[in-house]
This record gives sequence, structure tokens and C-alpha cells, in this order.
Amino acid sequence: MADSVAVKPRKAASPPAQGGHRSTQRSRREARAAYLFLAPWFLGLLVITIGPIFASLYLSFTDYSLLQEAKWIGMDNYVRMFTEDPRFIASLKVTTIYVVVSVPLQLAFALALALVLDRGLRGLSFYRSIFYLPSLLGGSVAIAILWRKVFGADGLVNAVLGIFGIEGQGWVGDPDTALGTLILLHVWTFGAPMIIFLAGLRQIPSSYYEAAAVDGAGVLRQFKSITMPLLTPIIFFNLVLEIIKSFQSFTQAFIVSNGKGGPADSTLFYTLYLYLKGFKSYDMGYAAAMAWVLLLIIAALTGVNFLASKYWVFYGDDK
Amino acid sequence: MSSGKKMWSAALLATAVLAVTAACGSGGSGGETADGKIKLRFSYWGSDARQKMTEEAIKKFEAKNPTIDVEGEFSDFASYYETLSTKVAGNDAPDVITLEIRGLREYADRGTLADLASKVNTADIDAKVLSTGAIDGKQFAIPTGVNAFSLIVNPAAVESSGAKLPDDTSWTWDDFVQFASKITSGSGGKQIGTQLSWNPAYLQIYAAQKGEPFYNGNKLGLSPQTVKDWWGIMQNLIKTKGAPEAAKSSEIGATSIDQSLLGTNTGAMGMWWSNQLGAAAKASGQNLELLRMPKVQGASTGGMFLQPAMFYTASSKSAHAAEAAKFIDFMVNDPEAGQIILSDRGLPASSKVLAAVRDKLPDADKKTLDFLDKTRGEMSDPPAAPPKGASAMEDILTRYSEEVMFGRMTPDDAAQKFITEANASIAG
Repeated sequence: MADSVAVKPRKAASPPAQGGHRSTQRSRREARAAYLFLAPWFLGLLVITIGPIFASLYLSFTDYSLLQEAKWIGMDNYVRMFTEDPRFIASLKVTTIYVVVSVPLQLAFALALALVLDRGLRGLSFYRSIFYLPSLLGGSVAIAILWRKVFGADGLVNAVLGIFGIEGQGWVGDPDTALGTLILLHVWTFGAPMIIFLAGLRQIPSSYYEAAAVDGAGVLRQFKSITMPLLTPIIFFNLVLEIIKSFQSFTQAFIVSNGKGGPADSTLFYTLYLYLKGFKSYDMGYAAAMAWVLLLIIAALTGVNFLASKYWVFYGDDK
Repeated sequence: MSSGKKMWSAALLATAVLAVTAACGSGGSGGETADGKIKLRFSYWGSDARQKMTEEAIKKFEAKNPTIDVEGEFSDFASYYETLSTKVAGNDAPDVITLEIRGLREYADRGTLADLASKVNTADIDAKVLSTGAIDGKQFAIPTGVNAFSLIVNPAAVESSGAKLPDDTSWTWDDFVQFASKITSGSGGKQIGTQLSWNPAYLQIYAAQKGEPFYNGNKLGLSPQTVKDWWGIMQNLIKTKGAPEAAKSSEIGATSIDQSLLGTNTGAMGMWWSNQLGAAAKASGQNLELLRMPKVQGASTGGMFLQPAMFYTASSKSAHAAEAAKFIDFMVNDPEAGQIILSDRGLPASSKVLAAVRDKLPDADKKTLDFLDKTRGEMSDPPAAPPKGASAMEDILTRYSEEVMFGRMTPDDAAQKFITEANASIAG
């Protein structure tokens, strides 16, 4: 990508017919220099991104404890995952519930707020910043610790419930509700998709609404027939992004469950289990295999998402 | 032509510089410093207070050994083992490594550690305690100090609830449950009797009272019945309100001793390693005491045992094995190091050092020492280092215990599954 960007402008600038042989030689030389200048970046990409990716692919076929040399064991790690590791299946289940529940909720919430903010409130930029704030903070360790306190047995939530005479419970300590608190935390970080929705709403020409109003369409009808169809590309974009992001969630579960995925594995996210396998059980080969399975899952889901998008996303140019 | 050449060389230079700096970043281990001193790397975990003490002890060592420069590699406990294993994986192991007993075989069995026999003076260390650091006849690890897993109690809280401190030489688990529930009811719920513990050491003590070892070679020595009976104690505690309900228990269980019921003065008891007494006392601001663990009716042993708080080990790949041994020897045997470290790494394993620092210990540690002296005769032998994979035991045990407390699994089912998973974890 970057090399074409760096070389092209120069080529376009040199007049094609003039000079002939000399100029092609010169531009070739410059291209070579450009590649060389790019070499440090490329070396970095090779050494700290692509190298480790392929190393992890290799390690996923080995028994590797970190403390000893890796031993080739073929497909063993992958087989073990699906045949004799109930915790792997459990972690898949927890993560799937998390994604399936929290992503639609979060997007609905973000869209609703974007619609309200788009009404042309006074001090819009102020509200926008306030609502965006959780997105910046949500992935942080401090908020996760705060979450543990707020939803603890003696936390804020129970104190508020107490005012209404409802006896609360330990929300993060109960396997039935612990995942719910994490989903809530995810929904709360609705700021990023909200900003994108807002930008999308701004793109819809107001003349459409005016014309609809003249024809007697109410607010709901306008939303259904104008806003939603024109917003589908934005919804699709947010959906793809948020699904990928939630599959990779780690920090919240790590902090809220004190790095264990408890109580009773109810918050054992896929990435958390991967981490536990690699660094706590000294089974880095297995962890590497899990990373590749996650990559395949995310790739497959994104692929399905794109295929399905043909049926519901409206780009405006095709009829 | 010349401008092209310049570009070539500039680009080449940039690449070369990058390559060289990258190489510098990973290299430079186990060598000599610029002034010709031998550089020794020492890794450990802990609090800021421990770091300060350790740095002071290192300075003292360097003053005595001017040719050695010790560099402490310090991290918090949560990230200690990941950092360490990554360093070992990168052929960048520290020369002197602090380990716990549960992780000892992970490292020793994989050829990471050097045999320290006859390189470090161990004459003043109790032979049985010392033997916990030996595997297959090789002394891979030297204990820093000892601990006993025991019951910590706040006598003032017990008294204000109208309950009476038990005679801990003869009390049973039923007495314990009744005692805890009496504290809760007597104080009107202001003081909960005890918080629950899922520490494998607790189960180990209980199993020993029933005549079963926790580990039997590379397998669990526990019977399902023992595990179920043990869970029964905790179920009774919850039922009689001697302990908080399951959700709150698991919430508290995930926090440190500062946030414990005892530490926040909302509970009267808890089980920890004896060196935690100081931390608990500090957090609660109360005068706390250690008690013997209750017994199974008719048990012939109390099952309590001394265990090294930590070990010093040396990397088998260290280029400075002699210096590493010298440093460990200093940390374990030199009274001057003992004066600085005191009981931070458990009550000193060396009897000579212990005698030298005895009067300087803080009150809580004096109490611990008195308690250990008092109970030493009843203690079981320190257990050998558990098999590889035992680091995961506490997590596995906690998980199944919670399943039972929340009623999501029957005790029968959970005990069976716990033993299967634990055996799989330690077999490899």
C-alpha cells in the first residue's frame, strides 16, 4: 500500500513522452531509493508483526511451555480443543452470548442517542463529548475496577435499589449476573458508534424529510422510510467493527474477575482463557492454536456479514 | 547519478541503524558492565516496601562484593510469572530467580534451574524445610523463610459479639461453624463470622486430618468423599450465616487481604498464610491473633505444616553461577541482610539469622513467631514441591467450589470433575 503511494506521484509528475530512455532509468532509480527508504518500516512490519504471526502459526502445531523448546505435535492442539476441553467450549459460549447480546443493544442505544442529538440541540458538541467519554474510558482498567465496586454486594447499585426497598445481591459475584454486568459495561461505551451514526445522519439531505413532510409522512414513517434505509451502510460498518471488537474483549473480564474468568467461569472470555492457557498453564502452543481459531471465527463471521449485507444494506446507487 | 547514490546510502544507513538498535534492545544480558563489574540480575515480586528493602540489601551485598553489580528486576505479583516465563523463553533468564513452591517444578523439571547443593550454605536451615526445595536429590531452591496456613481471628470482634474464643487445641469443624454463626448472630450481622477460603493449603490440612495426602506423586491423593466433606463445612457456614452468601463470598474471595472482611472490620476470622498477619492487622487496625485450624473429630494429626514462603533459585544458563550462589547465600545466611529484610519473605529460614533479628521484628511477626514455636511440635512434615501444573490448582479448586456453593453442580459431580481436571493438569 504505502509503496504505491510513495512512488506514484513522482511518476505522474514526470512527463511521459519527454526524454524517453534517460527518464525511465531515472525514475527506476528513484523507485529503488523509495523502496529503500521504506525498508526500515517494512523491516519493522516483518519483524514485529508478520514474523510473530507466522511464528504463532508454527507454535500452534507444537507443545510449547515457554521454558523449553517447542515440540512438533501436529494437529493435537486443535483436536484437543474440540474434543477434550470443556472450558474451551465454555469460553466460546460465554463470548458468543456476550457478542450476541451486547452488540445489538449497544448499537440500538447509540442510534437512539444519535437521533436525539441530531434534533439540533443547543450545546450539541458538549453533549457529544459527554456521551463519547465512556468510549474512551470503557476499556480502561480504572473503569473495570469501578464496575466491580458499583455492582458489588455493598455497591452503588444495591444502595440505590435499597432506597426503593429492593434487596439487591452481589452482581459481579454471582455467576448468573456477572456476565450481565460486563454486557452493561460494553453497552455503556456506545460513544464511538454514536459519533459515526451522527455523521451518517448529517449526510441525509434534509430535502428528503421536507418532501416527506409535504406528503404527510409522520416522524415514525420518515424514520422507517428515509432514515433507516439511508443509514444501513453506517449500521453495517458499526456492526462489523463492533462484532470484531467484542470478540477480542479482554480487559473488562480480566479486571472484573481478577484475571480468573470467575465466578464459576461465567466471565471466561475467549481471550481471557487464551491468556490463562499461555501464561498460567505454560501451554503456549495451545494458546497459539486458540488465537488462530479465533482469527478463523472472526474472519468467517465477517465474511457472512458481508454476504448478508447484500440483502439489507442500501448504498443508494443501485436499484 | 551522484544524487541517486546519496539516496542509496542514506536509505542503507537508515536500515542499518534500525537493525543495530533493534539488536541492542534484546541483547546485553548476563554480561559485564562498562566498568568491568560482573552484572547479576535478580528477579522478585512484591510491594513497594519490599522493593525498598531489597534494594537496601543489594547495596549491602555490593559493598561487600565490589566486583559484582546486582540489578533487581521487580514486578507486581500479578504479572511476575508471565514476565519471567517470557524472559526464560527469550533466553534472557535472570541469574537469580525468586519462585514459590507451587511453581518450583514448572521450572525445575524443565531444566531451567541450577543445582545449588554445596554452593550455598544451608547448615542453619531446618533439614525438612530445606528438603522442600530439593527435587530428585538436587537442591534447586533455597527457602527464604517459612509460613503456616492458619486461622487469623480478631478477638475484640469475637468478644463484642458475645461469643467466646475457643480452645484451639481441641476444637472441631462443627465447633468452628457454630462459633462463626454465633459471631454473626451475636453482633447482629455487623461482624460476619468468617470469610471462605479456597486455598489448596486449607484442603491439604483437612485431608491430612483424614489421613490423605493432597498429592500422591503425579496424582491427587484426595478421595472424592474428603473433598465433599470439606465443601460441607463451607455449605454449613453459609447456611448458618457464619459466612456471607455465595455471591458475596466469591466477590470477597477475588480481593486482597486489605479488602477482606477481617481487614475491613466487617468479619471476625479468615484463613491465610501466617506472614499475612501483619498485613491484616495493619488494614484493620486491630490486635489480631493466630489460631490452630479446627480438626476432624478424632483426628490424630492437626495437619498443619510449615511451608517456605518463597525460594531463591539460580538459572541453569547463568554465565555467573558462582556469583549467583554467593548472592543467594548472602540473602539467606547473612544477618546483615536479615536485619533489613526481617520477615518480609517469611520468618527467616536460617536459625542463625532468625536469632539475630528476633528482637527487631514488628509485633505482628513476633506473634507469628511465638505461634509457630508453640505449634512446631504438632506440625506435619513440610510437603514436597507439588507436581508440575500445580500452579493452576487454586484456580481449579476455586472454580468447582463456587459451582457447588452456587448450587450449579452437585457436590458428587463437582468432586469427581475436580479430581479429573486436577489430575489432568498435574499429569503432564
